[in-house]
Amino acid sequence: MTDSATVPDLIDHALAAYADLTALGEDVEDEWSYVNDLSASWTDRLERISADRAGAEATAAQVAAVDQAVAEIAAISDPHRAIDWLSTFPQVVLVALGEQP
Amino acid sequence: MRFQNAARDGRAVVYAGIQAEPVVARVAALLADATPAQRVMARAVMNGETTDPSGWMTMFPTLFGADVAEGPQRARSEAILTTSLKVADRGEQVRSQLRGAIVEALTAALLERRVGAGAVHRERRILFDGVRTEIHPYDVTVERDGAAEAYDCKWGARGINADVLHQLDDARGHAADEEAALRVALVLFDAERSCRVRLDRQTAPTAGTELIALETLDRLASG
Repeated sequence: MTDSATVPDLIDHALAAYADLTALGEDVEDEWSYVNDLSASWTDRLERISADRAGAEATAAQVAAVDQAVAEIAAISDPHRAIDWLSTFPQVVLVALGEQP
Repeated sequence: MRFQNAARDGRAVVYAGIQAEPVVARVAALLADATPAQRVMARAVMNGETTDPSGWMTMFPTLFGADVAEGPQRARSEAILTTSLKVADRGEQVRSQLRGAIVEALTAALLERRVGAGAVHRERRILFDGVRTEIHPYDVTVERDGAAEAYDCKWGARGINADVLHQLDDARGHAADEEAALRVALVLFDAERSCRVRLDRQTAPTAGTELIALETLDRLASG
C-alpha cells in the first residue's frame, strides 16, 4: 500500500488477504461452515466501517500496521492456525484503525 | 452442592506444571490491568508466527506509535509484548497449554478483586446429591455460601463445544434442584463476535450460561 491510502483502501487490502486466510481455514473440513460464518461476520463488520469512513485518509502508521498484519497472515500455512487468525486478524485491523476491537 | 479438589491423575500433574510456569502468572497479572487493545495485541502475539518485536510494534500503532507518550500504559504494552513473545517462542503444544493456563490465571486474578483470594479456587469438581460427578473439573470456581460460581476458560471461540456447554448447564440445573445458586460462565480470550458465531452453531443449552469475552473480561472483577 502507498502512504496516501484511505481507510476504505486499507480495509479492501485487509479483506483481500482475509479471503485467502478463509480459503486456508476451509481446509479443516469439520469447521467449513464455522469458518465461513466467522469470515462473513467479520467481513460485514469491516465493510460497515469502510462505508462509515468513506474518504477518510489513513495515516502512514495505519498503512504500515495493516501491511504488517497482512504479512503476518500471509506467513500462515497451518489451516488450524488460520482459523485462530480469522478471529484475531480483524481485531488487529480494527485496533490499528482506532476502532473498538 | 459441595466442591472437591480434582483427582491428581497424570493429566493434572502435567498441567499443574504448566500452570506453575512463572510466565503464566506474569502475563496474567499484566493482562488483568490491560486495555482491550493491549489484550488484542497479547492474543495476536501469542497466536502469531513472528517473534520479532518490531513487527508487532508496527502492527499496533495505537500502543507503540511515535505519538504514544512514555508512561505507564506504554510500559505496560511493552511488558505485555515481551512476555507474550516468551509464550509464542515455545513449541506449538506447550504454547497452547500456556495460553489456556493464562486465561485461567487471568480469570482467577480478576475474580479475586471482587470476592477475595480465599473464595477463588482452581481445578475443582462440584458434587450434587445423587448425581454422577463430571470427569472434568471446572477451571475456576468461586465458593461462597449462597453465591457460588463456576467458570470454564478457553483461549479461543473454537474451544466452545457441546460438552462444555452441557457441563455448565447441568451444574446450574443441579444446583437449582438443590435450591442453591450457581452462576456459570464461559470465559473466552477472544472477541465476543467470534464467540457468538460459534455459540449460534451449538444445539446445547446456552441460555443459562454467561459469556465473558475479551472485551468484557473486567466484568469478572466488577460483577
